[in-house]
Amino acid sequence: MKKRLSTLNEKVAPYILLAPFLFVLIVFFGYAFVRVLYFSFTDYDLFSSPKWVWFKNYINLFQEIQFGRALKNSITFAIIVTTCQTFIALVLAVVLNQQIKGIKFFRAAYYMPSVTSSVVITLIFMWIFQKRGLMNYLLTQVVKASRILLVFFLLAVIFHILLVMYEKIRKRPVSIFEPAFIVLSLLLSGIITFILIKVGIISTLENVKPVRMIWLNTRKTWPDIAGPLAFPIPLGAIMILNIWTTAPTFMLLYLAGLQDIPKELYEAAAVDGATKWHTFWYITVPQLKHITFLVVTMGLIGTLQMFDQVAVIGDQAPLDSTITLAYYIYKNVLPSSAIPKVGLASAAAIFLAGLTFIIVLIQKKFVNK
Amino acid sequence: MGSKTAYSSKTMTNIYMIRRRRWANVGAVYLLLLIFSIGFMGPFLFAALSSLKDDPLEWPPRITVNQLKLSNWIAAYKLGKAGGGGGFFGAFAPGAVVPFEVTYKVAPGKEPVVPEVVIPRRIPGSAAAALLLKEFAADYAEVSEIKEVEREVLEDGSTLVTYRFEIRHTGDIVIDRLPLDITVPFKQIFVKGTLDPNRIERLGRVQSWDNITSGVIPYIFHNYHRVFSENYSRSTGKNLFMSWIFNSFYLAFVRVITTLLFASMAGYALARLKFAGKNTIFVFMLFSMMIPGQVTFISNYLVLRDGIFGISKLFGMDSLLNTYTGLIISGLVGASAVFIMKQFFEGLPVSLEESARIDGANTYQIFFKIMLPLAKPALGALTILTFQGVWNEFFWPLVVLTSPQDKFTLTLGLLNFRQTYAVAFDWGPMLAGAIISALPIIILFIVFQKYFIEGISFTGIKG
Repeated sequence: MKKRLSTLNEKVAPYILLAPFLFVLIVFFGYAFVRVLYFSFTDYDLFSSPKWVWFKNYINLFQEIQFGRALKNSITFAIIVTTCQTFIALVLAVVLNQQIKGIKFFRAAYYMPSVTSSVVITLIFMWIFQKRGLMNYLLTQVVKASRILLVFFLLAVIFHILLVMYEKIRKRPVSIFEPAFIVLSLLLSGIITFILIKVGIISTLENVKPVRMIWLNTRKTWPDIAGPLAFPIPLGAIMILNIWTTAPTFMLLYLAGLQDIPKELYEAAAVDGATKWHTFWYITVPQLKHITFLVVTMGLIGTLQMFDQVAVIGDQAPLDSTITLAYYIYKNVLPSSAIPKVGLASAAAIFLAGLTFIIVLIQKKFVNK
Repeated sequence: MGSKTAYSSKTMTNIYMIRRRRWANVGAVYLLLLIFSIGFMGPFLFAALSSLKDDPLEWPPRITVNQLKLSNWIAAYKLGKAGGGGGFFGAFAPGAVVPFEVTYKVAPGKEPVVPEVVIPRRIPGSAAAALLLKEFAADYAEVSEIKEVEREVLEDGSTLVTYRFEIRHTGDIVIDRLPLDITVPFKQIFVKGTLDPNRIERLGRVQSWDNITSGVIPYIFHNYHRVFSENYSRSTGKNLFMSWIFNSFYLAFVRVITTLLFASMAGYALARLKFAGKNTIFVFMLFSMMIPGQVTFISNYLVLRDGIFGISKLFGMDSLLNTYTGLIISGLVGASAVFIMKQFFEGLPVSLEESARIDGANTYQIFFKIMLPLAKPALGALTILTFQGVWNEFFWPLVVLTSPQDKFTLTLGLLNFRQTYAVAFDWGPMLAGAIISALPIIILFIVFQKYFIEGISFTGIKG
């Protein structure tokens, strides 16, 4: 009897250990998902009971102007941010792929944006993007120093070309992007530009009007030539913020991946006389394929859910310019002064979930290949 | 023959090239690392610096801040003492005599004019703060005669002239702040004062101080001081910012405990035990990690509103909206936490369990006595990640906690700040609040960097 009791006990044990997790999983996820699916086929306002309306919400959804804006904003945002942050992360990682002493300090600096809360970061960026904020100040300084910067870069390019040509004439092997020469020519050009400024031959531009670009509270779009494809400027500000927060983290994922590429591949390529560009394109990029897929998938899923930034900026920017799918759903379930449209919001939610699901499926398919 | 001469000239060139590359690479990499770190840390550092400024939107933005000058610290200390409070935390108390000096520069040929000194009836900061202010220094302060104490004619013919006066407290109550306005004629230029003014207005004619007897700490951290002193709940009178910090800590604490316990229980079961439905649960769990919170919140909101199918009514709670119980129950344990623990337990050797089982231990004993103590490193990482997650959480608390204000968490409180301060372009307290709320995570991160990095590679990152 005692033995039977203890075997029964052992059979039940896994479920008891799992009970709290299963409760959360079933009530706050499984049930929630099924119920949202059900709501998406009904008319419901949180108070009276839901009325079954078949596909009316899904049809209405695509006729709603607000939803169209949200969808367009979300997709533009996801594509631009994911592309930029993946690209920046990869380039930074390749540049930094060294055994670096003191990497711990730098890593801390790089992770800082991704560990602090999005509310804090959004607030700090709202301050930077004010009319009299840091962003416009830096832009003003760049405009002021444009002549100096131009001279500096022109000189650097000239020095670099001369150095490379000198080596070529002496028949020494040299690549066009020889890092030593880049550093040297930047240094030389810096010194000469400095002297030119001191002597007074070149100077900053005078009478430059301070840049007073409005980043948040504007309905303008950018770039003008893109026509209907242009994105709202406030959304652009959020893009800059988002790329800035996530690129460093992805960069560290790439760095880890780079360290795992077998050294023999590079040695073999060097023996075959491959250029730096060739090794990057034919060895590094294919070897990092899995990480790239991970980064792109994580990037797309993350950006499609973008909510916090829009909510924090709130009425400091026109809603049309910043609204995303996630915010559209929230706004329709809990509007500040209107009847909740839960059916419509649920249809949008199912749409968002479907979009995410498709991205994950694509990733799974490619990674398993 | 020496071996050195055996090198061909081609090998020598290669060695030369490799050396050249090495120093250039190391130099360039560190330079770039540094530039990137400035790029990624810069906004934080500059925001932290600007949170001390009188006007974080000053143009052009400066790196030097009045609040960080040693001379001002000393002056603030002395003035605080003279005001009858302490040097570090001052006040304007009965019997106080506060001496003050200002120096002006007057153009050649012009006679300096004695400035006009006023203790203004200024309402500081936000509207909420104004409601709390009942006593004004203007009603109790008396400005002495303004005496000229020094005059010096400079080489270019202009005159430097210094005036001195005292402010006396004539009443019998302690007042928090002693503001000061000094007006001079046009072209009589302010050079220096006992304390640097907070603002210079009307084309340099009015120099204005918010509180000359604040003492050092409120002087340096006046925006931080404002964050705490200007935000009181209108219904309960509680200090809002303090409540928000406390709430965030409380929620993080409770949820770290539930997560540690329940995630390790579930993780262990999924990693090591055999039972029907295990795979289904695992797939279901992965699926749940993929779906955005904005999809499921619609139902979850209703579940909490109705008290989890009416169960909470048995405990006397009609609805779990606006309660921490609701937030805690819905966030007992997350799928990613379970995932981390499952991965960890899968990596432990099976032999430990087997020997315990032979000794007759049951599943619970094995879990609590053997496996849980072994899981300390994973639990450490999970503690930090959960704390960070709860501390930074925004969307779900935004849905659940709507009123009153003193129930908010810190992130919601900051959103509230935006409506109070940012609308009025009063970015000082706004930045101060943001820095305070980022501080615990930054400290944790610096101390436990390793755990954060493990966690990020485990669970992915936010968008």
